[in-house]
Amino acid sequence: MLKFIHTGDWQLGKSFGRFDQETRIALGEARFDAIDAIGDAATKRGIVHVLVAGDAFDTEGPSDRTIVQAVSRMDRHPCRWWLLPGNHDYARNGGLWARVRGKAGKRITVLSEAEACEIEEGCWLLPAPLANRHNLDDPTALYDGMETPGARLRVGLAHGSVRDFGSQGETRNQIAPDRARRSGLDYLALGDWHGTVAIDRRTWYSGTPEVDRFQRDEPGQVLAVTLTPEAEPEVTPVRTGRFQWLVRDWTVGSGEALNGELDRLLAGVEPAATLLRLSLAGIVRLSDRIAILNRLEHHLRHQLRHLELFSDDLVGRPTDEDLADLAIEGMLGAAATRLRSRIDGGGPEGAVARRALERLFVEHERDEVR
Amino acid sequence: MSLRLRRVTVSNFRKFRQPVVVDGLSDGLNIIIEPNETGKSTLLEALRAAFFVRHGTKNQLAQSYAPHGDAVAPEVRVDFEADGVGWQVMKRFLKNPMAEVSSLGSRAQGEEAENRLHALLGSVKDTSQRGDPSLHGALGLLWVAQSEALAVTAPSQIVRERVRSTLEGEVGTIMGGTAYRRVRDRIDRQFGDYWSPTGQRRGRQAEARERLDTAETKAKEAAERLAALEQDFSELEIARARLKVLTRDVADGADATKRKDLQTSLETARIAAQVLATRRAERDTADAQVIALDDLDQRHVAAAGAAAKAAQSLATLQIEHSQFQTELGTAKGRLSEARVALTTAQAARDAARDALAAGEVLDRRLRRARAIGAARARHTELLAYEDQLATARKAGATLIPAKVIAELEASDRAVAQARAVLAAGATVIQLTGSAPQVTIDGAPMGSEPRTITSEVRIAVGGGSILLVRPPAVAASAEEQLAQALDRERRALAAAGAADLSEARAQNDSARDAASLMKILEARIAAVTPADGELDLAAGSAALKLLVAGLSDQDAPTHERPDLPGLSTQLAKRETEVARCEGVHQAALDALRKLEGAETLLATREASARSDFDGAEAQRRAIEGRSEFPSLTSRLSATREKAVQAAVALAQAERDASVHDIATIARKIELIDARARAGTDACNRAETDIARLGGIVESEGGKGLAERAVTADEEVEAARIALLSVTQEAETLKLLRDTLGEVQAETSGKFVGPVAHRAKRHIERLLPGCEPSFSEDLALDGIMRGGISEACLSLSKGTQEQLAVLTRLAFADILLEQGRPVSLILDDPLVYSDDARLDLMSDILADAAGRMQVILFTCRDRAFRHLPGNRVILGPNSLSSGALQDGRSSP
Repeated sequence: MLKFIHTGDWQLGKSFGRFDQETRIALGEARFDAIDAIGDAATKRGIVHVLVAGDAFDTEGPSDRTIVQAVSRMDRHPCRWWLLPGNHDYARNGGLWARVRGKAGKRITVLSEAEACEIEEGCWLLPAPLANRHNLDDPTALYDGMETPGARLRVGLAHGSVRDFGSQGETRNQIAPDRARRSGLDYLALGDWHGTVAIDRRTWYSGTPEVDRFQRDEPGQVLAVTLTPEAEPEVTPVRTGRFQWLVRDWTVGSGEALNGELDRLLAGVEPAATLLRLSLAGIVRLSDRIAILNRLEHHLRHQLRHLELFSDDLVGRPTDEDLADLAIEGMLGAAATRLRSRIDGGGPEGAVARRALERLFVEHERDEVR
Repeated sequence: MSLRLRRVTVSNFRKFRQPVVVDGLSDGLNIIIEPNETGKSTLLEALRAAFFVRHGTKNQLAQSYAPHGDAVAPEVRVDFEADGVGWQVMKRFLKNPMAEVSSLGSRAQGEEAENRLHALLGSVKDTSQRGDPSLHGALGLLWVAQSEALAVTAPSQIVRERVRSTLEGEVGTIMGGTAYRRVRDRIDRQFGDYWSPTGQRRGRQAEARERLDTAETKAKEAAERLAALEQDFSELEIARARLKVLTRDVADGADATKRKDLQTSLETARIAAQVLATRRAERDTADAQVIALDDLDQRHVAAAGAAAKAAQSLATLQIEHSQFQTELGTAKGRLSEARVALTTAQAARDAARDALAAGEVLDRRLRRARAIGAARARHTELLAYEDQLATARKAGATLIPAKVIAELEASDRAVAQARAVLAAGATVIQLTGSAPQVTIDGAPMGSEPRTITSEVRIAVGGGSILLVRPPAVAASAEEQLAQALDRERRALAAAGAADLSEARAQNDSARDAASLMKILEARIAAVTPADGELDLAAGSAALKLLVAGLSDQDAPTHERPDLPGLSTQLAKRETEVARCEGVHQAALDALRKLEGAETLLATREASARSDFDGAEAQRRAIEGRSEFPSLTSRLSATREKAVQAAVALAQAERDASVHDIATIARKIELIDARARAGTDACNRAETDIARLGGIVESEGGKGLAERAVTADEEVEAARIALLSVTQEAETLKLLRDTLGEVQAETSGKFVGPVAHRAKRHIERLLPGCEPSFSEDLALDGIMRGGISEACLSLSKGTQEQLAVLTRLAFADILLEQGRPVSLILDDPLVYSDDARLDLMSDILADAAGRMQVILFTCRDRAFRHLPGNRVILGPNSLSSGALQDGRSSP
């Protein structure tokens, strides 16, 4: 029996440059924290081996801090860490992995050569490291030539998309979908795909332990795998991720409707560990739109770790009432009328005019509120 | 509604140290006429203080209220009515400041009191240092201090808004001023965050742009560094691959084996080369021996041949030489014969020549002698002729010149004439008898007749003197005769003749002598010709000289020699000599020719002998050598040996060509060079790998890839931020522009009604004129007769009047709105002429019908005619009580 943690796509050192400084740091740190989460999960389950299926690092040239952080986090746990070079952190002479080896302790093994190694008696690990950013061949094709004398269990470790798996995989080195069967593997641990996916009973993508993009709602996880000769693998997902990256497209009819949606959303998540990409659409009163944006910008944004708001499709149409409110202000009303006629003109100028009108209402409302 | 002041009490306020009260102010026109310096302006200040200046303020304005040098509390109290309700305001400043407002039994104090006043009067809190009438609402405009009276100022914001809100119904629009201003202020502020006042991007826009620029620069830099690192990585890979290949090449043993084989071949080749050299030397030696023996043999044959030939040649020449000697003897004999003949002939010729010469000498002597004889004869003749010639020449020399003859003839005639005249008048005396004592003029008288022509004394003896005196005529005739005689005498003297006839005869003989001379000269010439024989020149002198030199020799007596015969003899002998000379020369030539031939022959003979001797010596020398006897046999043996050596050499050459040392050495060198190059390349590759490895290690540790990604993402973020900032800026710009446009447009709508109201008043002053107002409701100017005039270009008087009238117009508008208004003018209309003053007075009196008007003036006379309430500004309160003017208004 062989127990191990299957993980991959740590993407350590990812910069998240589009986020504000605070978020950037939090997301970056969370990726290192994921190592601890994995170590803890393994220890808790009495698992020694952690198989990292590529892309542990986000680039082939991370900073020393990134490497040292990674290595020292791994060293803290009583595990054997088996690191496979992926397409982001491919293996080359004098490159990243030479640096890692220079800093790593005994617990860490860099699988930069396509040579099988016996990790436990009769349990062989067949690594398919990548040596380039872009690889054209199936790296697992080399399994056929690997000697695994006395193997009771053969575990493949590879990085890349499975052929015909879909266009979202990053690498071109397409792995044969039936590689596990072809090469007589008891399990093929794959990396590259950031969600957890089972290709067949013996072929799995573990997904990333800490989500790094808006793609799916689920937080990051790893797979705790138990292999027994002649038996199907036992695969259990274990949550390790801290942040949830949510994507929502809402069509809103009124301020109240939005509030309802928001309340439902927030009820199911930890707001401080949530990143939300929210796209709003619909036609509402201009005053409603202002109120909605006000809530989102001045409340929700501060509740969440990060809010990415697309509100251009939420059209705020001033009602007669809105306009009457302004009209009693004389010149403000006249300005609103002018801007409205510009909006009707359409085009880029119309868009600017729409924002200008909205701003006029906002500033006027602000007075009213006071 | 009108605001009506009723009573004002001021104390400790500027010049009013003692309380001053103005009381009895009526509803309409109140005129306070006081001299200068009595405090009218102070009173207006006090009113403003009571209504608009915060009691608690310590600002400059409040400080100025305290009387100079006194630390007292200025106090103002005003009783007034507004909207028919009585009000009282009381304020104290600086010391224990207080404010109190009461009305209808309700009382407010402090801030509350202030706020009540603001609410009532439409003013706002004035926090300025010196007081700001624009914050005082309508009364700020309508209470006109002396200093402000002249300016045609725009109404303050507060007044404008009041006026506009009054007119909103009329123009059908509203300004919405307060909300607008708040929004506008905020938008302006936000606009300022993005734009400069002139519409240049700055602030946040500039920051966003800068952020993007910086990010792009950093990203570019990071990308470049990363690219450089990647380049190093790929170079490192290439170097490694190269080293691998090189190492394999170097390790490959093929070259070493090949080199060993080559080395063996090289040894073999060296031995073959040595054999070849030996064979070549052997062959060369044999060849040399053959050549030497051949040479000796040939030389012997040649020497023998040459000796034989020379001997034969010598013999032939010797025979020839002896024959030639005979010929030479014959020639010599002939020559000596010819020489004898020649000598003989020459002697004969010389004899003939001598004979001829002697004959010729003799002939010359004979001819000379003959010539000398002839010369002597001619000399004799010559001498005779010369004697004759000398005689003739003497005769010829007496010839008198023709002129002298003529003179002679003339003087002769003159003498004859004078004689005739004397004869006619002269006295002729003649002594007859002898009387020797008689003398005439001292001379004996003689017996000859004597003609006297002048007085003469004749001593007759005895001392007596006979005096004869001829007539006077005789005297002059005698004179003339004397002259004529004298002339004749001179002429004769010149002619050398005694008298005329003699002179004539003399002349004739002289002429004959001349003819003779010519004949004689011709003869002399004829007898003195030249004579070549004697070298004698023509002429008498030459002849004489010759003759003088001759000795008296006898002429020779020889016969003349036969010269032609002698000559012929000589010619014959000459011919003989010539012939002999020819023979001699021929013999000589023949001999010389023979002698030349003989010399040549002798030379040839000598040469032949020498040749023979040389050849013979050589032959003997060769034959004398030791090897000569066995020469033939040795020669054939040596030739055999040479052939064998040549065969051995050919074999050796074939052997040597199989292994070319140079080629083998070249191949070995090639292999060595390849090995060296391989090692060098390996070293270089190692160096490159070490260098690149170092770079990769140091640069790789910097996390360049991570940095590059971060930088790229920052660029993206900056770009998005810039977009959003730009959007925000554009939005604010549009909103601000729109607000500006709307404000301008709306403000314009209110101008008309204001102008219309003002026109009512202004037309009374300036009939037919249209006032024009700007958007902020300031009076810009007026239109008169189609011509626009700016306010500032109008006269001071007109400006002041217009200032009052526009204020009046605004007061009217505010009155319509029910705002509390009153008009206070401090010393107005100082620049107005009487007519305008009257007109303005009427207008003010009219206005007083609608609102309370208070006039402060020092010009009693100017406003005396105005109907109104005269108020005295008295110390200590006690009002004047109203001195009501009895006159009714016009």
